[in-house]
Amino acid sequence: MSKLQRIQPPIFPVKKVVIPDAVAQRLINDVPVFMIESGTEEIMRVEFTFSAGLVNECMPLLSSTTNMMLTEGSMRYTSEELNGLIDFYGAFVNISPEKDRAGIVVFFLNKHIDKVLELSREILFSPVFPEPELNALMNKRLRWYLVNREKVQNLAMDNFFESVFGKNHPYGHKVSEEDFKNLTPSILADYHSKYYQPENMAIIVSGKISSNTIDLLNKYFGDIKSLKTNLNHPVRILQAEKEKKIHIEKAGTVQNSVRIGSATINKRHPDYPGLKVLDAVLGGYFGSRLMKNIREDKGFTYGISSSLTSLDLAGYKVISTEVGQKNCGRAIEEIYKEIRLLQTDPVNSSELELVRNYMSGELLRMFDGPFALADSFRSVWDFGLDNSYYYRLADKIKTIGPDEIMHLAKTYYNTEDLYEITAGMI
Amino acid sequence: MINYNRFTLENGLKVLVHEDRSSPLVAMNILYNVGSRDEDPELTGLAHLFEHLMFGGSVNIPDYDLPLQMVGGDNNAFTNSDITNYYLTIPSDNIETGFWLESDRMLELDFSQKNLDTQRNVVIEEFNQRYLNQPYGDAILKIRPLAYKVHPYRWPTIGMDISHIEKVSLDQIKKFFFSHYAPNNAVLSITGNINIQKAEELTRKWFGPIEKRNVQNRNIPQEPEQRESRTLTIEKDVPSNAIYKVWHIGPRMSEDFYTLDLITDLLAGGETGRLHTRLVREKKLFSEINAYITSDIDPGLIIMQGKLMKDVDIQFAEESVNEVIESLKNENSLKAEIEKVKNKFESTTVFSNTNILNKAINLSYYELLGDPDQVNREVADFRKVTQEMVTATALKYFIPSNCSTLYYKSTRKD
Repeated sequence: MSKLQRIQPPIFPVKKVVIPDAVAQRLINDVPVFMIESGTEEIMRVEFTFSAGLVNECMPLLSSTTNMMLTEGSMRYTSEELNGLIDFYGAFVNISPEKDRAGIVVFFLNKHIDKVLELSREILFSPVFPEPELNALMNKRLRWYLVNREKVQNLAMDNFFESVFGKNHPYGHKVSEEDFKNLTPSILADYHSKYYQPENMAIIVSGKISSNTIDLLNKYFGDIKSLKTNLNHPVRILQAEKEKKIHIEKAGTVQNSVRIGSATINKRHPDYPGLKVLDAVLGGYFGSRLMKNIREDKGFTYGISSSLTSLDLAGYKVISTEVGQKNCGRAIEEIYKEIRLLQTDPVNSSELELVRNYMSGELLRMFDGPFALADSFRSVWDFGLDNSYYYRLADKIKTIGPDEIMHLAKTYYNTEDLYEITAGMI
Repeated sequence: MINYNRFTLENGLKVLVHEDRSSPLVAMNILYNVGSRDEDPELTGLAHLFEHLMFGGSVNIPDYDLPLQMVGGDNNAFTNSDITNYYLTIPSDNIETGFWLESDRMLELDFSQKNLDTQRNVVIEEFNQRYLNQPYGDAILKIRPLAYKVHPYRWPTIGMDISHIEKVSLDQIKKFFFSHYAPNNAVLSITGNINIQKAEELTRKWFGPIEKRNVQNRNIPQEPEQRESRTLTIEKDVPSNAIYKVWHIGPRMSEDFYTLDLITDLLAGGETGRLHTRLVREKKLFSEINAYITSDIDPGLIIMQGKLMKDVDIQFAEESVNEVIESLKNENSLKAEIEKVKNKFESTTVFSNTNILNKAINLSYYELLGDPDQVNREVADFRKVTQEMVTATALKYFIPSNCSTLYYKSTRKD
């Protein structure tokens, strides 16, 4: 046998991602249901999502607390009974308070579908928000908040949101200790009656979908009637704060947390797929420029990354890292240096090829398995988009050139527009 | 149910293959049978530092990540007291690149001073980020040496003292590599969109030529039985008091393992665990409380940790924890609760086995423990636990002389 040549085997282009389409149906009361068939095991994931997110709240913590209290007692069950039943059927009920939406995601073995859907109805549409449970939750949340406020990464991130979206908008509002004392059961009940309504609701089903699913969904959710509350949505303007550079001093720390970024376009904008590629080059994967320079070359940090996120009213991009205090200034300089390089020097073809291939692989991972599929569906459906967004992204990954990346870097990463937040000790 | 094929190469490498055509990807997991328990007490943190060094290039490949990303792959790794575990997922057409990369870094690393110096700094920042810059982050660093006096589990994976990482030399790194990284000290699992023949053919091609090595014999001092309760109090500027209690248990393969796992689920599984129900919901003494077993291969620990609500007396909180634990020893009405945690265990297991990467990690680990088929028997074994076993096991382990307690007190006066 000849000696093995340890050279890279032939490289095959990453296959085009194939995304199973969600089958759209409606319950008898018109609630949309999306079914994504996938997977090999007898399990399902059902997500109930409402336009009930943080963006609607008129008081801090109202949206998340209403969401967290859903499993704390209903017309038929105390909180202990409700949670006991969920556990008994081996189900997982994840509450999901988000910035734009809120709801629950339930995971279960198919054999328990009937009971789990019946419980889901009880959780979503018959909560009673008992006062003792509410007080206990708020006390607990206050303790968590006090612990979180000790962590430089939370201090920096909260301040980042306040800076880029503004103090007076729910996206940017910073919670304070006082906010934990102001909520009452009737305030939660009022919020629930306005936002947890069938006209605000969608159901996303994925997994090895049991054949009686739509019948059971109709049985438990098809008769829910809208209260037809006339909502006066509060009008609040996103308005970034003036101060671009903020430091939060925190004694006794050994690392500084750094956040650099700003508000930007969201998924609805035609430039968004290109900006995703730019973000990957800068700090979106392990081989990115920020990682290579600041971790792998200089060893200043355990991790550094950039990310680009879409919210309903805007997007934001942010570079995040925790760095040792003696290297903080140099790390920040290097971050700006990397941004400027993207604006002045075209990305060379081997690096671009690397990013194209890495991102094509990521795209496959985003659609691997029933749970990933449901998440990826929601992250376009939320914006009124469909899978064609992903095909556009796949196309952009394959075709974007160095000039377009440079142009995007100039347009969206003007360093004078970026906010620089640090927390720790300087 | 995970069906798999299993074979061993002449050089001792154990291999498991599971085909799952529902995924467009292949997952590869290599477990090296080396963890922080294999370290010299004078030079701790090396197993974990290695996890970092393994990405700094190997004898024929200057950069590990670059060619993997070039074919759409992704990877990561973790280290614990017992093992160092590396994994990747890759679009199936390009799986051979995964074999090329993993076999080359098993063959030999590119031992460079520059890579060592950089990763040393990265690990020091990791230490700072995880343990020093988080409230209560150092609790685990304090509780281990309280519970273990002799066994290497007395230091955490990151190392006993960060100065060990600061001073380690390139020669010590080389020695560690050749005495632990070897085909005859590793388990390779391949899962996903690949057939068994192809997986075997590629394994033989790329891993077959690597020679067997002299793996350092394991000579770990066993922890003597603890005979009296131990306590330690530390005071720090944290928002509230916290309490940590640990009890010694047997090794991973002991017959009590699933009973102990079930006991910690009864105590702390989800919203309706006894500790949470009684002490967070009803008595409102804690803002959060948790209990789990460490699942270490050598005799491990049950760990209970809780953060107290404001103005709660720490002794009273501890007595209340003890009362909940005592209830497991003398109540006869546990049947429904036991059934509940069994159902939850079943669904957790089924969910975890929907993912090709989890399946690969599990197969390697159970092979190391001695029987990969255990991955398919876990639910049945967990279901065999009875109320009598719960009572007897609680009586056996939850005794004061087997317990160490850390009181983590807040110095704040607000």
